[in-house]
Amino acid sequence: MADRKLECEVVTPEKILYEGQVDMVVAPGGDGELGILPLHMPIITTLQTGELRLKHGTDNQDYIAIDGGYMEVREDKVTILATAAEYASKMDVTELNHIKEEIESKLASLPEDSEEFLHATTKLKHLLNRLAIADRRK
Amino acid sequence: MSQTREIRRRMKSVDNTRQITKTMEMVATAKIRKAQSRIEAARPYAMKMLDVLTNVAANVEAGLHPLLIAREPSQNTLIVALTTDRGLCGAANANILRQADDLVKSETEAGAKVSVFPVGKKAINYFKYVGYDILDQRRDISDNPGFSDAKAIAEKLIELYLQVQVDKVVLVFNHFKSAMEQKPVAHVLLPIKKEAVEDGSEEKEAGDYEFEPSDSAVLDNLLPTYIEALIYRALLESAASEHGARRTAMKAATDNAGELIDTLRRSFNRARQAAITQEIAEIVGGVVALENNQ
Repeated sequence: MADRKLECEVVTPEKILYEGQVDMVVAPGGDGELGILPLHMPIITTLQTGELRLKHGTDNQDYIAIDGGYMEVREDKVTILATAAEYASKMDVTELNHIKEEIESKLASLPEDSEEFLHATTKLKHLLNRLAIADRRK
Repeated sequence: MSQTREIRRRMKSVDNTRQITKTMEMVATAKIRKAQSRIEAARPYAMKMLDVLTNVAANVEAGLHPLLIAREPSQNTLIVALTTDRGLCGAANANILRQADDLVKSETEAGAKVSVFPVGKKAINYFKYVGYDILDQRRDISDNPGFSDAKAIAEKLIELYLQVQVDKVVLVFNHFKSAMEQKPVAHVLLPIKKEAVEDGSEEKEAGDYEFEPSDSAVLDNLLPTYIEALIYRALLESAASEHGARRTAMKAATDNAGELIDTLRRSFNRARQAAITQEIAEIVGGVVALENNQ
């Protein structure tokens, strides 16, 4: 079992974030967290805003915040298409907090049923997700 | 003497222009490289997206999603034209606008009411000038487009399509073939042709996928993202094309300025020579006149 690995790719529109072999993928699926091990059945699922974990061995993990996207699993190959993604280890918390404040002040001035309000809320959700992950994985 | 001064002044002004065009050429060259690498960086996502979509499309009925259903013949056609915000980039914008004009004509002949969605100042100004019906517009993104720009445009287009305000959406943009060559292309964005999706990948294995939460939910999510990815690619291609076209135009301008300076220098020398010859002739004439007087 241990010698059977998953071929994993994390792709965003801007770049390929990760490409390589992992032992296990834990992804925030549309209906809840999904753990993918080798020999998993073929599946296509939506991903929601949350934390993606790539496990190497027993205690080495990569933590990646994703804004949402899709995951395809086929024959030990995991493809994750994320609309945006960022490593927890590479986040700039002060910068993120700064943006968060900006959005929050913008939210306060917008009418609640406007399109922009909706946009800003989604943005804030993505941001809070990143901050939570950055905080948890310090 | 006044003629040589005049020529010298013109040489100076042409030389200044040449310096500007030369700088613009170098800036454009640097930007092409960056824009090209962004296109390459975006390619894997688009390919994977098509892969996944192919697998999904092979598993569902064509009538399952409104974006896959064509309303033919189109009553209302929307033309999205991607141009630049700034000029001095050769025929890049003119090509796009001509293509858009042709499309407006052919769609009108086919009995559709045509409206436009210009992206970039050049298209906005032109469409306003010819008086087309402008549904929406965007600007200030052509130089350095982000995925969020593409997303905003895609959301608007999908909304218009789902509300049956438009029956067909055509995207016109410059396809970046190489730094030297850009070609305007028209691409039907909506409705999404099922065949187009299925032909995208060589292998299609139907039926053995599990979908979460459900096949239609995945499709609901995936189709808009597919449109976003297409628009993002088009934005990147047209940005790269802008820089490519600008470089070609500025290189031509620099070369022409060089030639003009050469010509001016030649006539400057001739004028100088003529002035000297005339002076000598006058002196000689003066001497002869003095000798004759004696």
